[in-house]
Parts: sequence; structure tokens; C-alpha cells
Amino acid sequence: MSEIRQRWRLVFARGEDARYLSHLDAVHSWERAFRRGEIPVATSEGFNPRPKLVFAAPLQLGVLAEHELADVYLSEKLTAPDLRERLMVGLPRGYTVVDLYDVWVNAPAIAPQLAAADYRMTLLNVEQSRLDGAVARLLAADELTRERRKEAKTIRYDLRPLIFELRARAADPDAVPPGAVPAEVAGLWMRLRHSQSGGSGRAEEVVAALAEDLGLSATISIGDGEDSESTGPTSPATESAGRPPIEIVRPTRERLWLAEELGTSLSGGRAG
Amino acid sequence: MRPAGGTPSFHNPESLPIAVVERILNRVRKPGRYAGGEWNSVQKDWSATALKWLFAYPDLYEIGMSNLGLRILYEVLNDRRDRLAERCFAPDVDFESALRSAGVPLWSIETRRPLREFDVIGLSLGFELVCSNVLTMLDLGGVGLTTAERLESDPLVIAGGSIVLNPEPYADFLDAVVLGEGEDVVLEISDTLESIGWNLRLPAEAGAAGAAGEWHRGVTRAAALRALAAIPGVYVPSFYRPRYLAGGRFDGLDRLEDAAPETITGRIASDFETTVHGIRQLVPNLAIVFDRAQIEVMRGCTRGCRFCQAGMQSRPLRERAPDVAIAAAEAILKATGYEEIGLTSLSTADYTYVREVATELHRRRPGTVLSLPSTRVDAFTVDLVDAIAPGGKRGGFTFAPEAGSQRLRDTINKGVSDEEIATTAQLAFDRGWSSVKLYFMIGLPGETMEDVLAIAAISRRVLAMGQRRHGGRAQVKANISTFVPKVMTPFQWDGQDTTLEIDAKVTALRNAMHAKGLTMSWHDATSSILEAALGRGDRRLGPVILRAWQKGARLDAWDEHFDYSRWLVAFAEEGLEPAWYAQRDIPIEEPLPWSHLGAGVSPAFLLRDRKRAQAAMATADCHWGPCGNCGVPAATGFACETGEQGPRILLTKIGDDGLGWQYVGPPGDPRRLGGVVTAAVGANVKAPAGESRGWPYDLLGSEMQAKDAGLKGLASLVDAAGGETTA
Repeated sequence: MSEIRQRWRLVFARGEDARYLSHLDAVHSWERAFRRGEIPVATSEGFNPRPKLVFAAPLQLGVLAEHELADVYLSEKLTAPDLRERLMVGLPRGYTVVDLYDVWVNAPAIAPQLAAADYRMTLLNVEQSRLDGAVARLLAADELTRERRKEAKTIRYDLRPLIFELRARAADPDAVPPGAVPAEVAGLWMRLRHSQSGGSGRAEEVVAALAEDLGLSATISIGDGEDSESTGPTSPATESAGRPPIEIVRPTRERLWLAEELGTSLSGGRAG
Repeated sequence: MRPAGGTPSFHNPESLPIAVVERILNRVRKPGRYAGGEWNSVQKDWSATALKWLFAYPDLYEIGMSNLGLRILYEVLNDRRDRLAERCFAPDVDFESALRSAGVPLWSIETRRPLREFDVIGLSLGFELVCSNVLTMLDLGGVGLTTAERLESDPLVIAGGSIVLNPEPYADFLDAVVLGEGEDVVLEISDTLESIGWNLRLPAEAGAAGAAGEWHRGVTRAAALRALAAIPGVYVPSFYRPRYLAGGRFDGLDRLEDAAPETITGRIASDFETTVHGIRQLVPNLAIVFDRAQIEVMRGCTRGCRFCQAGMQSRPLRERAPDVAIAAAEAILKATGYEEIGLTSLSTADYTYVREVATELHRRRPGTVLSLPSTRVDAFTVDLVDAIAPGGKRGGFTFAPEAGSQRLRDTINKGVSDEEIATTAQLAFDRGWSSVKLYFMIGLPGETMEDVLAIAAISRRVLAMGQRRHGGRAQVKANISTFVPKVMTPFQWDGQDTTLEIDAKVTALRNAMHAKGLTMSWHDATSSILEAALGRGDRRLGPVILRAWQKGARLDAWDEHFDYSRWLVAFAEEGLEPAWYAQRDIPIEEPLPWSHLGAGVSPAFLLRDRKRAQAAMATADCHWGPCGNCGVPAATGFACETGEQGPRILLTKIGDDGLGWQYVGPPGDPRRLGGVVTAAVGANVKAPAGESRGWPYDLLGSEMQAKDAGLKGLASLVDAAGGETTA
């Protein structure tokens, strides 16, 4: 293990050109970027030492991002402009460094400090007025039982406490594909719990719950076609026959929030 | 001179909007294959660039992006201000169906334009079974499938790659074929096409006869093809028409155009030894098959294995000087960010400077992982791999005896003895490998059941050696494939075994291989039959390929997609049989459908070498032994250096410790083993007086013809250092 002399927190965005990297692909891509930029990254211990780069939260394949967090540990000190310059040399198209700041080397690890994540997306094949209704009903519910598959097991959990805020709104005009009926496109914004100890909400699960409320199916997976089977409603469907599934486009993680940034206002927050 | 600023163009297609693209990518596995944005990919201003190429690689992204040729030609073209090259790979089945259901054309990765919008489509054909993918790509890209169907506005479809040594089965689909190496000829083709106005896009004149669509080019397809046919190494299939005899045999080709040459010889890059193209190599966004940088250290091969098309057809042998290879490798690592680089060639252990390049790269960039294709059977290779990855993983050590018996190895000119196989395996086990993987072929010309069973015998012998060293951990994995006769090799006339014969051999071998620690993997032979049929095929196979594709043939190189029955039906509907093409012994007096094409090695040499094969006589590796008169210098104008004066030694610097003599004589020469090499690695041997020239590079090349005196000198030097002279 090389000695750690400095720890930088990177705030970065991910655009269209880097959108379809899986988390593992992204890790490899950043490691190559550090080598190209000749950034003196400290390495981990072990038989196969890896550069010490810690992403706060893996970003799903297909999801755009505007305010992601990662800590990188250096074996030699660099100034902020120097590090920024070297990152610009090496980072692949699609990634931009929004901000970077020096963190005390022994400060707590980044991932356990996460509290929430904001998402926005455009939904096709659903009118905003109907989505408004579904959002109101979802927020009014005390409990929202969902099932999540983990390997062979199915885990039941309550999605409701993982949703801090949820709003339907007008669609982003750029995300509307040519030929789509403008009336059947809506925007959605949400703030979900993202916590190692308290659980994390998944944006596509929220969309699936909304679709279920409306008696529709949804192509729930974001980007990653591996599990992009349409899930039909689990409750008796009355309306879904003949209606195309809700489709998610331009899913964007707007921001990751650390607990200290959000304060305590989250605990019972219910935006209306 | 044409003014800068690209093409005056009537037709400037737009990129597909992201909003359309993302809905398709959301539905498919591994969307990163089609999304672009890779490091070192180049997005040029479409309307400001004169001539636009699309490299269409007809296999999945993971295979295509691993291809060094693509990385090279992509850079060669994009380095020119007025040329543009984009990429496209074969769509997986889910992507194809998503495109079809959305009615969206297959797009180029860089700027998301449909394939039909380019001036030239460059197809890389490296394997017979990718031919159905070519049709998928052309069809989805909006390009006419056959040359006869193409519109005047369609791109020219030009193929290169190893299987176009016999392009006849694919002739219906190819406007032109480039034989040999592509570095120079892609630029010549580009200049020719621009000079005649192929890239000009003009509005169709109202009422013009035959003008399909809203625009046409500055020159007709027919005129463009005539211009291409004048470029050395370029073959235009539609300028020739085959004749067949009543019995079905091919009888020769008629030339239909004065512009069509009688024979066409493959191109050889003019500057391989001195210039390295492909420095800013594409770095994928998802894991691919060869996910590493690559530096090609040598091109060509003089070993002369008689089954090997690449080895026979890539001569002359050219080696990159160590300073060229090292500087390029460093530049490539820096430009890509990879930590692993492959030293590639057909047989890297034969590269004269392999050890100094590896040592020096490790010295300059500690932590760099080097890899090399290691299939040669000799102790030098084990020693080299061991030295290249000191303390590295000891997974499996792979080498390829190819045949089980000495007699059959002599027949195929794989000059390696049972003893060498044993010594090599022993050394691998001694150096820490507990698992050895052996590659063999069955169905080789002249093979008997005895030869087949010899595969089991040698595998068991190797296993026993491993068990003595590593006990129950020792493993031998024998990988068995079916021999496929390749055109332009001494075995091009020899038929493949029938399915029954192969099955009997595999069954017998499987029974004989039954032992703990010994596993045998075997690949189904039906795809090998198709590979052989297409490989030795003629133009009557064009309609067969089209039919098979229409019946759903997709990604045939992948077991999960390959369905032989589709192909059998397609052959039958054309009144043909794959067995006739694959399994027939072709009489040597019969005309061959590919005999107007060549890569340098003369048909006379192939016939001579075939006779030697039948007598189980070896042909020497001309890098070390005498010239075999293969005909390459006469056909290509490239001289080659043979080792007629006998084995050579090199004076070289090993590590930082000093100088050592390193023997680089022919593989299999015992002087290359153990003592000498060990001494060279470990010993601090002073160069003799008068030889101490400056490091780094003038020394590396200071080659001495080691006549007897030289070798004696070597021996005494090694003795002085406390080494042993022979194993």
C-alpha cells in the first residue's frame, strides 16, 4: 500500500457519452483516466493493488447524473488547479468535474454519510394529470409494500418510508421523442432515501408503483436491458389492456445528499 | 487542388436524435456497445470532411473492438484532415429486433448516422461464419444487399481481412475486395475516390433515367469500380464471371472488363518496421475480449505450419526494431491509460527482441502488465512468460502441439518432438504452473486412429509429470478442434473428414482420455464443416448465404445462435451440399476458384510443400534455416532476410545488471534452453572488448552471425559467469 498524503472529494456529472457504463465499467474507466492524467493515486493493499478511488454510490447503467460524489486518495499532494487539469486530460467524454475539495484524510468514509438522492425523469405513455393523481395517492398511503428479487429470494419491503418527496410535472421538451403524443408525456421528480443503514429507494420501483396504481405496466428498468422485462400490475388490472407500458427516458440522478447537507428536515418530510 | 472545407454537398444527413436512440438502447442488453463515447474515438465535422468511411465489423462489439486492425486503420484515416472513419459492429439479436420494431436504421457509433449515408463501407472479414452478419448490417443500414441491387447513392462496400483470400462466396455482396495489409491502400482508395468525385452529392436531375432517390454521386458506381480496379491489391469481383462444368466443377473465370487484371496480389504495408500506426487506440466503455493495449512487434511468420493460413500468407517476416517497439508501446500505454499491453504477432516468442522489449518496458513503466500469445512449444517460451510475469498468477500455461504423434506433427510441419513437449511441460510445472492447456486438431490430412490416440498418450504423459510436481492439483486440459483446410496453404486441396469419421475419432479419444485431472473439451464439428465449405467455396455460395440469412442465420460464430439446419436447407435449395465443398479432395489439376488471387506464396511452393507433407518431411523455418523459395520476394518485391548462415546470437542488455549474451537460435535448439538463457537473465556477463557500444539501442541490434567460433565464445562467456551451456 502506498502512503496516503491527500484525499480529494470530487463532485462530478455524467452525460450522454458516458451514460451506458455499468458501475464496474465506470471504475475501470476512471482508473484509466487517472493513469492518462498521471495522477498519483494511492493504491490499496493486497495481491492485486487497486487505485484508491471510492464512489459514494454506484450509478446504474443508463442513468445520467449531475452531482455525484467520489473520494480519491493521492500518494503525492496536488493543488486543486493541478488535479483539475490532470482530470481534464484523462477523463473520458461524458464525465465532467463540477467541483473538488480537499478532505481531511482520516475523515469518515463517504458512503455511510449519504442520506438521500434526487431523481428526475420523463415518463412516456402517461398523462401528467393522471400521474398527479397517482402521486397524491402514493404519498397519502401509510404503507407501500413492494417485492424485490434478490437472487432466488423475493424480499417484501415497504417503499413508502423511502420516499421523501415526489412530484409530477411537465415533461422536459428535449426528452420527448419525435412522434410521441405530447399530452401523454409527463415529468417526474423525487427525493429518495439513500442510506446504508436505513435503506435506499429505487427510482424505477417508484415508477412501477405509480404504474400499478394507474393499472398500467411499466418498463421499469433504467437503461440496463438485462432485466427490462415489463412488469404487469400485480393488482387486478382494469385498464392496462391495449395501453403501452410507461417508459422511462432520460433518468437523471440530480444530486446525492450527505446527511450533514440536508440536516434533519428529512425524517418525516412529505412534500405535497 | 481542391479548396479546404469538405465536400460541396447537396445531401447532408443529420444524426439520429438522442431521444430516438435512447428508447432503443433502453430495451437492449449492453447498450454501451452501440452508444459510443469511447476514449480515442473521433467525432469529425461531417460536412467539413471530404470522404466518409464506415468501418463495419461484422461481429459483436466485444470481438470487433479487440481487433488491432480496426484500431490501426481507424487512426490511419482519422489522422487525415479530409478523411473520416466511424464504426459499427454487428447488432446482437435484441438490438436488431428493437431497431426493426422501431423502424430505425442501424447507425454509426460516432455520429449516429445510418450506414447508407457513408461514401465507403469497409468490412473486416476475419472469419467465414460472420458472413450472415454482413447482410444483417447492410440490411439494417439501408444499403442494398447485393452489388446488383445497390443504388447509385449507396456506399461502396469494400472488404478486407484474412478470409478474403478467397472472397468468391461473398462476391455478390462486395463491390471490391482489398487483399493483404490495409495501411497504405485505404489512403490510396480514398484519394482515388475523391479525385473522381465519388464523394460529391448532387441533386438528382429531374427525369434522369435510373436515378433512384433524391441525389446521386459525382461519378457512377461502374466508373468508381473501374478506378478501384486499377489500384494494386484491389479486386472487383463483378468484373469477372465464373464458368462451371456440367458436373459442377469450377472451370475458370472470364474477365469482363479490360480494367480487370488477370491476377491480384495482396498488399504489404510499406513502413511496418519503422512506423507504428494505431497509437491512440480505442478504449472501450465495457469489457471486451482483449481488453488491453496492443503493440504488434512482428508481422509475418516463417515457421511454415502447413495448416496455418495466416502463417503462409503474411510473409515476408518483418520485425520492429526494439527502439521502435518500445517507444510505441510507451506511447500507446500513455494514450490509452491501459496498464496491460499485449506484444502481438503470429508467434511472439519468435520475435528476436522480445526479451529486451519486455525488460525495458518493465524498467520504464513499472507495474505494466505484459501479455503475449504463447502457443509455441519450447522451453524458451515458458522461460519468457515466466520472466514477463514474475510472481504473477500461475493459472494455466497454454501451448499447441496441434497433433499427437511425431509423424503427424512432421506432416503438418509443426517441428516439435515428444521430448520437447515433455521438456516444455516439465519446465512449466517447475516454474509454478499446475495446469497446462494443450491445443490439438483432429482430422488432419493423413491422420490415422493411431495418431488420434497419441493425443491421449502425450496428454497423459504431461499429466503424470504435473502430478509428480504438484500432486492432485495438477491438471491437463486438452482442447480439441476439427481441422479446416484453408485456401492458399499446402492443405488447400485436402478434404475435411466426414462427420462420421470425426465422431468416431472423438469417441475413441474421449475414452482414451478418461483420467482424473485430465479434461478434454471438444467443439461441435458442424460449424467447422460450414467454415470449410465457405472457405473453399465459389460464387454459387452467394445465394446460399442470402437464403440462410433470410431463414434467420444470425451471429453464426456464436454457439448459442448457430443452427446448422438452416444452412443445410439453404444449400439444398440451391442444389448444393456443404460436404462437396468441405470434404472433397480437390485434384491438383483442377482450377481453383481463388487461383487469380494471391498473397505472395507461389502455388508451386504450396504443391511442393504438400508433397513433403505426404512424405512427412519437414520444411525449415527460413528465419533460421535455408530459403524455401516460397516465391514471396518475386511476387511482392519485398526482400526477406533468411538465416542461411546458421543460427545467430545477440548481444543484449538484460536488466540493469549488465550485458549478457543471449542465444536466439532456432527454437528446439538445446542451446536455447536452460543454461544459456538462465545465464543471460541472471548473469552479469561483460561484453567482449570492442563490442561495448552505448546503451540503449545501437547495442540491441548488434547481431552476430554465430558461426562455430561465436558459439564457442558464447559458451565460454557463460561458463565464466557460472552458468551452464546446455540443458
